[in-house]
Amino acid sequence: MQIGKISLHTTKAVQQNAEKNTTASNKLSTNPFGVSFKGNVIQADVFESARKNLNGKNLAERGKLFASAVVSGINSFNEAFKSRMNSVVSFGKKITTNVFDTIERIGNTEISFDMTGLKNKLFPDRQYSIKNLTTKSVDELKTLWSGLAATGAV
Amino acid sequence: MMDNNKKIKNIIQALGEHKDSEAAIELLTELGTNSPDDEIRELTAQTLIRKNTHESLRVVLISKGKGINDLSARVAMASINELLALKDKTEAIKILDDTIKMHSEEDVRNTARSVRALMTFSS
Repeated sequence: MQIGKISLHTTKAVQQNAEKNTTASNKLSTNPFGVSFKGNVIQADVFESARKNLNGKNLAERGKLFASAVVSGINSFNEAFKSRMNSVVSFGKKITTNVFDTIERIGNTEISFDMTGLKNKLFPDRQYSIKNLTTKSVDELKTLWSGLAATGAV
Repeated sequence: MMDNNKKIKNIIQALGEHKDSEAAIELLTELGTNSPDDEIRELTAQTLIRKNTHESLRVVLISKGKGINDLSARVAMASINELLALKDKTEAIKILDDTIKMHSEEDVRNTARSVRALMTFSS
């Protein structure tokens, strides 16, 4: 009978051990390395990745995050766009000012051509045409005549 | 290309048409009648005669070596032809008459007399 008791105890003990092992294995199912912290087996939830957490959040929260990112992105884009537009606008203003300055300068500039001198250079003989010579004063004609006589021809 | 002689001829012609007649005659007398070139002297004499003023005619009628008294027969003959071609010969005849009467040079007086005779026949 004692043998029977012993065997019964043994059987119970074996059963209890088996149950313990089963629960421990269940607890460690998501913690396969059995990492413990202060005597407690660390639960699987601790190892949930940030990505999993993020995935776990509802759509509204994700939307907020995404929206804030978009808003910040839009703000930075706006700032960059504004700064570029400012430079474009300032460049345009500078161009406009320069154009107006140039127009004003042109308006105040007197352009004159010495047509007589130009004609004389292009057509040197025309200077000595009778029509042209009659418009000159006698002193000018004297100078021309003296100049020609001094060259030795006459 | 126009040569210097042609240019000077154009200047002489321009002086013949110039409004400032007195200054033009002075310049023609100073530079034209003293030119060593026969053509220039000839054209100058003709221009002065065409002006048909007392001052311009005096230069070519009574000056020794100029106009009708030029040593070049070409210049002298051209001057006489121009005198004969004048429509109004009054001033020229008057100067010639005064020259025949009063000029100190015999050659000048003789030339003036010959030209005066030609003018009488041609008019």
